[in-house]
Amino acid sequence: MDDGSATERLDRHALVMAIWLPLGFVATALLHVGLTGGGAWWIGAGFAAIIAAFTCHVIANAVLGTSFTYGETALGAVAYAAAVLAVLATLLFASEPVAGRILLPVALGLAALLAAVILYLVIAFGARGAFERFDVIRDNNLRAASRLPHRGGRR
Amino acid sequence: MTTLLPSLLVLVAILGLYVAARVARLGRPAREFLDAGQGLPGWAIMVLMPGLVLAGYGLDRHFVLVADYGLQAAHVGVGLVFVAFAALALWNRMWLAARVAGLATPGEALGRYYQSVALRVVMMGLTLLFALPVAADLLGSAGRQIEGATGGVLPRMAAIWLLAFGLAIPAIIGGWRASVLVLAMQAALIGVLLAAATVLAVILSGGGGFPSLPIGNAEGILWDRIPGVIQNSAGIGKAVPAGGIFTTTGIASTVVALVGIVLSPAALYLGQTVRAGSAFGTGSVWLTAGIGAALMVLAVPVLLSLMPDGMLVAATGLFGRAPVAAGGLLLIPLLGNILAASFFVTGGVILLSREFLHRYLLPGLSPSGQRLSVRIGLGFGFFFVALSASFAPFPSAVLASAALPLAVQMLPAILGLAFLRWISRGAVLAGLVLGMLIVVFTEPPGLILFEGLFLDVPWGRWPLTIHSAVWGLVFNLLLVALASAATARDPARFERARLHDAMLRQGGTSPGAHGLLWALALLWGFFAYGPGAILGNTFFSHPIFSRVEAALGIPSLWVWQILFWLMGVVLVWWLAYRVGLGHTRDIGTRPIRLGADEVLRTPDWLSSGLARVIARRSRRRKPGAGPVDGHEARREPRRIRIP
Repeated sequence: MDDGSATERLDRHALVMAIWLPLGFVATALLHVGLTGGGAWWIGAGFAAIIAAFTCHVIANAVLGTSFTYGETALGAVAYAAAVLAVLATLLFASEPVAGRILLPVALGLAALLAAVILYLVIAFGARGAFERFDVIRDNNLRAASRLPHRGGRR
Repeated sequence: MTTLLPSLLVLVAILGLYVAARVARLGRPAREFLDAGQGLPGWAIMVLMPGLVLAGYGLDRHFVLVADYGLQAAHVGVGLVFVAFAALALWNRMWLAARVAGLATPGEALGRYYQSVALRVVMMGLTLLFALPVAADLLGSAGRQIEGATGGVLPRMAAIWLLAFGLAIPAIIGGWRASVLVLAMQAALIGVLLAAATVLAVILSGGGGFPSLPIGNAEGILWDRIPGVIQNSAGIGKAVPAGGIFTTTGIASTVVALVGIVLSPAALYLGQTVRAGSAFGTGSVWLTAGIGAALMVLAVPVLLSLMPDGMLVAATGLFGRAPVAAGGLLLIPLLGNILAASFFVTGGVILLSREFLHRYLLPGLSPSGQRLSVRIGLGFGFFFVALSASFAPFPSAVLASAALPLAVQMLPAILGLAFLRWISRGAVLAGLVLGMLIVVFTEPPGLILFEGLFLDVPWGRWPLTIHSAVWGLVFNLLLVALASAATARDPARFERARLHDAMLRQGGTSPGAHGLLWALALLWGFFAYGPGAILGNTFFSHPIFSRVEAALGIPSLWVWQILFWLMGVVLVWWLAYRVGLGHTRDIGTRPIRLGADEVLRTPDWLSSGLARVIARRSRRRKPGAGPVDGHEARREPRRIRIP
């Protein structure tokens, strides 16, 4: 039986989907036009729609006092990695005119996305806190004593 | 397009199924299937409020009207601010009544407040009207759109049944919460798609279209101005008003009719089942009066000017360059119809089950039994809607035309519950009967019936270019005021006053004390969409205090609309945040008991009828048994006393 917190998580999940569904659709439409011959501005507009959705997601998190879930983080990382791999594959296998036409705007778009994520992390957690979220090497000793400050651990 | 549009619809259906399954797996108590535990998330109401108003009015219908009548039809969009105003004030009070006196549904609220079974019956009738003919009409429109978009590959009837199936499953699985969450997502999709489609269409057309070119319209229509304050016209079907049907009174009365969406039983129930917070404020100020009205005032005329041959032709043309965008363009009116149909059927079935089935027929049903009954009801509801849409599209359309104006006739009753304690039961019922009769006889159901059975009446639909909602409401309010004055010493007023006092204690705000706000609202309404809007025809192109002609490059009326839309947002903001109707907070005290204790029991005629049937069956099964008298076999009906 749910004690209420699962309901709130689901409500938030639905809100996140309500953000990504329309903006993701618009981004898909714009990127499709851009990648099939529309040009760099369409691709840029597509990435702008993705960044807008990400911004709305961050705002929703701030209003609800939540953060990105593990599932959302994993999905975002996988999608981003797939996009980077697709760009690399295009570079290797696509004809030169096609690669030349789409590579730069897509690469810039992906870089802008990465910059937006880094900017969010820095604003939300500070420079050190943002780095610590990825600093898995320092946290690889799970013994309780390793977390004591004089043993180099941190609370 | 044949593959793309159905694929997009399948994706929308899968999304609905996913959300419904997640809600069902929460394992919440069975009772919450019906009302989400009165804890719907605020964001869902915020997003759904404008989506519901746009979809309930009929996006595809509005597109056709704007394409035919130009800016005079688009002027109705300014009225979305008024709708937001009404939704904010009335939903807030209905929410408060639900918490303060435990009035869980709109029918129960009105029935117990006025101590009237008749009002409950009227609300049930309205619920049925929205859940069956209106939803069938909307679903039928969606079916026609799919048939057109797929070039007949997916016929209208098949599309209707597939849509009904796709809408029924999430509702049956997830109940009220899942339905509202899914519909809120669809509403967000409609809003974003409408804005994006407009920008995309302008870019792809190279910046042509409105305002540099007129909106393609019918012959003899004044596309960039309002054709007068009022016209001496017998009404649609009898005479054609010169210059168009949207005079200022036509616009104002259509705006009043739009309030019918807010007053529809399912919409009131939506407002009652949201959790405490600032959902009403944000939803009405920023999303309905702000973004919703902006889309209607700014985006729709621009978009439609670029589609002189209609949306389907434009989408087909766009398909070659941007197929996903073309699919999105067609999704806008389609999703609107789907959203409204799903909302009215789901909400309607839940309300009818609570008001009729669980109250009168099976009063002792357990919570899980109630959930099962609603699930079965939803299945039947969507089945009958699909059946009506498939085989009775004309009767559905005729009956649906009267739904909004009939819902508007509930306004005095709801105003009485919300703010005006001097409105009495007798006055409400008398006004309601008169108002509804006038509506029926100025809309197709009454006109077709009367002219078919007896003789032709000299008026048609919207006589004098005034919407039937206002014809009915004027006489309704007049009678309510007179009858309330005559029944001012009614002893029942003390009981009604208890609720108002309790609401004032809990709500802590009295909107009546803000005289300046109401004065400004009236003034704004007069100029925004009332008779004063006629000034907007030339106010900015030929200023009245100067001989100078301004070359704006855009119609003066459009500037007027934008200006008064912005002013209207400020007024709604005032009502929400300065008066305080935008916020709700949890009630700490126990609900008060309103009226006498009610004894819930199955009606005698029903229980005795059932007993006779049961007795006959048992007599057939046991030939040796003695005669069983129906009266002897009748059992005492189960009685449940509820506070």
